[in-house]
Amino acid sequence: MIELRNVTKTFYKNKAAIHALSDVSLEVAEGEIFGVIGASGAGKSTLIRCINLLERPSKGEIIVNGQALTTLSPRQLARERRHIGMIFQHFNLLSSRTVFGNVAFPLELSHTPAHEIKTRVNELLTLVGLQEKQSDYPASLSGGQKQRVAIARTLASNPRVLLCDEATSALDPETTLSILSLLKDINRRFRITILLITHEMNVVKAICDKVAIISEGTLIEQGTVSEIFSHPRKELTRRFIASSVHFSIPEEYRQRLSQLPDGPGYPLVKLEFNAESTDLPLLSTVARLFNVDNHIVSAQLEQAGTARFGIMLVKLTGTPENTQLAIEYYIANHVKAEILGYV
Amino acid sequence: MSEPMFWMLLNGLWETIVMTFVSGFFGFVIGLPAGVLLFLTRKGQILDNRPVNRALSVFVNIFRSIPFIILIVWMIPFTRMLVGTSIGVLAALVPLSVGAAPFVGRMVENSLLEVPHGLIEAARAMGATPLQIVRKVLLPEALPSIVNGASIALIALVGYSAMGGAVGAGGLGQIGYQYGYVGYDILVMNTVLILLVALVFLIQLTGQYISRKVDHRK
Repeated sequence: MIELRNVTKTFYKNKAAIHALSDVSLEVAEGEIFGVIGASGAGKSTLIRCINLLERPSKGEIIVNGQALTTLSPRQLARERRHIGMIFQHFNLLSSRTVFGNVAFPLELSHTPAHEIKTRVNELLTLVGLQEKQSDYPASLSGGQKQRVAIARTLASNPRVLLCDEATSALDPETTLSILSLLKDINRRFRITILLITHEMNVVKAICDKVAIISEGTLIEQGTVSEIFSHPRKELTRRFIASSVHFSIPEEYRQRLSQLPDGPGYPLVKLEFNAESTDLPLLSTVARLFNVDNHIVSAQLEQAGTARFGIMLVKLTGTPENTQLAIEYYIANHVKAEILGYV
Repeated sequence: MSEPMFWMLLNGLWETIVMTFVSGFFGFVIGLPAGVLLFLTRKGQILDNRPVNRALSVFVNIFRSIPFIILIVWMIPFTRMLVGTSIGVLAALVPLSVGAAPFVGRMVENSLLEVPHGLIEAARAMGATPLQIVRKVLLPEALPSIVNGASIALIALVGYSAMGGAVGAGGLGQIGYQYGYVGYDILVMNTVLILLVALVFLIQLTGQYISRKVDHRK
């Protein structure tokens, strides 16, 4: 549905070349949700803006919906863009138009008759749950509501493809989840292919089927979300995955934590599970084999695609020899175990 | 104040109003497209075109730097050709419009610069043509600012028209010049001033009111 072939984009600033994208290729199949994740400045914004030619690539081909976009005349391109929806981090709603007027905007562009606009806009506002706000101006809406209006607006012209440029980055976590589930719903219901860019692994985890990691203008790794989460090959990918799991030592433990095994202290161990380790009943096996008890202090286990992963903080109580054996057993079973201190 | 004097002042007020608003209108007819073009051809905008932008910009700057009183005289041959005479209200409209246009052009350009770039980008992504972007995005979004600019332009025109009065354009300016500067009639001179001040206030307040009415940004 979306295909990028060897796309390169070079900017010139004071005659110095900046390679925003170098030789990027990717393919998004119809009905898929594809995420591109990267830190700021990695080129992900340029990447998504190249797809509808808001930014013209220096080299390479862009094929959307079977149409090679770089070869089109401006008029043909404008027409083709009507089938490529796009939503933005800062919503980009027209402040001079009401909610109704904003959703009607793309329909006016394609000269849709007024009565058709009215039914279509009502339909879309019902879909995003904002029908009673239709005569309000965007300034009076919350961030989440603004993004819903933007989604309704972009769906108005029945796009086959939806590009999301950091669509949830300006929203709070709860609103982010509701917008993501709306996107997922749209993807399933209308079979709209979605390509999104983000710097948050949580977004990828929540809705993407496939993911690519971008760094310094190149895609360093891509695959299904399950694959990437269970077998990340690059260090950066691992860091993004780790960033999506929240980990901290509870204050009460932090105060009592000592670096040396003095007195009756037991080790406080951080266990990092990945897809290979989470299916095994490790905690009970360890308890049985080494006569060591696992006191769970905190735990977060997550699922992305079919991959499960997470972090658990446990206090191991047993003899020093046995706890040492237990830790070695964890490590042998693909759990990254680290002694944080003794309590 | 005698009755003929009263009617003369009223007529002068009317002439000033006509000169201000009619030349303001023509100033916009020329200045608005010029301002839009100045904006669109800027670097990084949708019709990015250096030569056109540079040429238009130089042209606008030249006209803005000619003092109005000189512009009137300088334009006399053109004015005669266009309206057949070089004195009176009708003749004054020509240099007033030409004087207002570059001012309006820059003002419109500045108002358009305030429109967030993301809106233009969103419209492009939705397949809007450049003309649609101007009509449906840029002008409506910049309207509050353009209205404010328009009241500034009209107020400047009140001043210009008074200046024109000194060289036979009619209006309050001519009355003020004849009875004040030449005849030193304090009553007439001060009445002219009060009327001009009232006109400026009226334009300013109306402008602010309309600008607030069309502003939905907060």
